[in-house]
Amino acid sequence: MPLAATRTVAKAQNGVGAFVLQCKRLEFHYCNWWGSSKGMNAFIKSSLPSFAQRNPSVEFSVSPRPRKHPVIIAHYINGATRSICVKNLQNEGVREKAEALRDSNGEKNKRLGKPVTSINESVRGIWSPFHGAKIQI
Amino acid sequence: MKRIPLSRCTSHLQAAPSPRRPSCLYAAQRSIAARSNRIQARFQATVSIPNDGELEVELPEEPSIVARQPAKPKTRQSRWPTPLEKLPSPHPSAAERSVKLHALRSRLSLPQRFPLQTLARSLVHPSADPNPAFNNASLSILGRHLLGYYTTEWLMCNYPRLPMAVVFAAVDAYIGPKALATVASEWGIEAAAEPGGEVDPGLLQFMRIQSGGELPASLRRQAPWSWNVTTTHKIMKTDEFGSDNAAPGPHSLNSTPVPMEEAAQSFVRALVGSLHLQLGAPLVKRFFRDHFTSRHLDIGTLFDFRTPTRDLSKLCAREGFEAPVARLVSETGRLSRHPVFVVGVYSGKDKLGEGAGSSLDEARTRAAAAALKAWYLYRPLEVTVPSSTEGALDTSKWRPNMIDCGEVIV
Repeated sequence: MPLAATRTVAKAQNGVGAFVLQCKRLEFHYCNWWGSSKGMNAFIKSSLPSFAQRNPSVEFSVSPRPRKHPVIIAHYINGATRSICVKNLQNEGVREKAEALRDSNGEKNKRLGKPVTSINESVRGIWSPFHGAKIQI
Repeated sequence: MKRIPLSRCTSHLQAAPSPRRPSCLYAAQRSIAARSNRIQARFQATVSIPNDGELEVELPEEPSIVARQPAKPKTRQSRWPTPLEKLPSPHPSAAERSVKLHALRSRLSLPQRFPLQTLARSLVHPSADPNPAFNNASLSILGRHLLGYYTTEWLMCNYPRLPMAVVFAAVDAYIGPKALATVASEWGIEAAAEPGGEVDPGLLQFMRIQSGGELPASLRRQAPWSWNVTTTHKIMKTDEFGSDNAAPGPHSLNSTPVPMEEAAQSFVRALVGSLHLQLGAPLVKRFFRDHFTSRHLDIGTLFDFRTPTRDLSKLCAREGFEAPVARLVSETGRLSRHPVFVVGVYSGKDKLGEGAGSSLDEARTRAAAAALKAWYLYRPLEVTVPSSTEGALDTSKWRPNMIDCGEVIV
């Protein structure tokens, strides 16, 4: 057998071909009694229908959570969940938090060392001390 | 005065009750009702209707015709519909109400005209529902062949010189069982804990293996039929991934507990098959390009040479090049603990490849492997795959593809 092959799985590059939104589900929890839910309740009544319509690939659920602060819980494709407490926020503030959760990919926040990372190898190649005009063989 | 319930006094004036377990979309639209509580007259948009003539005869209140159905066991006729819990998989009418299915359809950017009932059906593995009109077995067979066709032609046209072992490995990396299960999880597919009629149809329905249970016999590793399985046998007899044994067909897994990977890959295949049936080949090709060939695979890393120097000299002899000679390009620290040698493989005055290693032999082997990869990984600039001309009247864009005489056989 002169040649064998190793088995691997091709890596996904989200957005290169198709883009799959990583946020899978958004849960909105509100309380009818507590004042901290005032903005959340206004958001659910006024903005949530249009927000849900603009994001058809996200599953939305609204449920009461009495005697608690309002919270938005997001579930992601990688299995992670993120939750943001939106107590005492106004309608706009809740919408911003919901958009932040929708746009996140569920990974933990991490510091990026370089502004650009790539899986493709460099076109120029790595500099080699053994090559070049000065080398005398 | 006591009011008489409307349903009592005018039931004969009302429309026929909706079927218990649907008739699909079309049957529901045409209000064809199957009155018996047995599972029958379930027409799906994507399956050929086996008994088309019974469409008319399956009308309500026809006990003689109902009694003529031989396939199903006789059950008690009741006025009440079958409870959902008794169904093996979700009712197709629940698909339209499922939030998960709506979200999945738009997450995959599928057009609105792709029916959710079909999407729901492709999520039902035969282990959950053995009825072939309701599970995804037929769709996944179609999808498997479509995926194999598109992937193989794409690879063969783009890399015409790939050795067969690498073609198998590359096809496996794009659409192999593991790759498809990964794709399904990256689409956000969740599995139901237990299949059933009351479960949300947006969940993957399959019968799970109990904790500590064994894999089904057909999925277990089997001894190959012959111990020296040749490449020709792999091409002709087994699956598109060059396995020793052909994978079990989906119909053989009816009501058998299966691992989630098996169910997930059957979903992806069934989705491709149903897209082909519902939306046509051009859209499937676009879907395939977006979700499969857009994945990153460095085919150069799949090669595992055993005797690259010998292969290279055979290749040069075959192609009529001068015999390859390894020459030292540069070196450093020959007597140190970390020597580096850079060796080039030359055929006459042409450098075929170059490699660096910590010994002369290692560098020479790497250089020969690099030269072989440079030969095998040749990519034509302009490629038109054969399926791109399907149904096209204008063939002026067609460029015949390169066909190589194949890998070096030592």
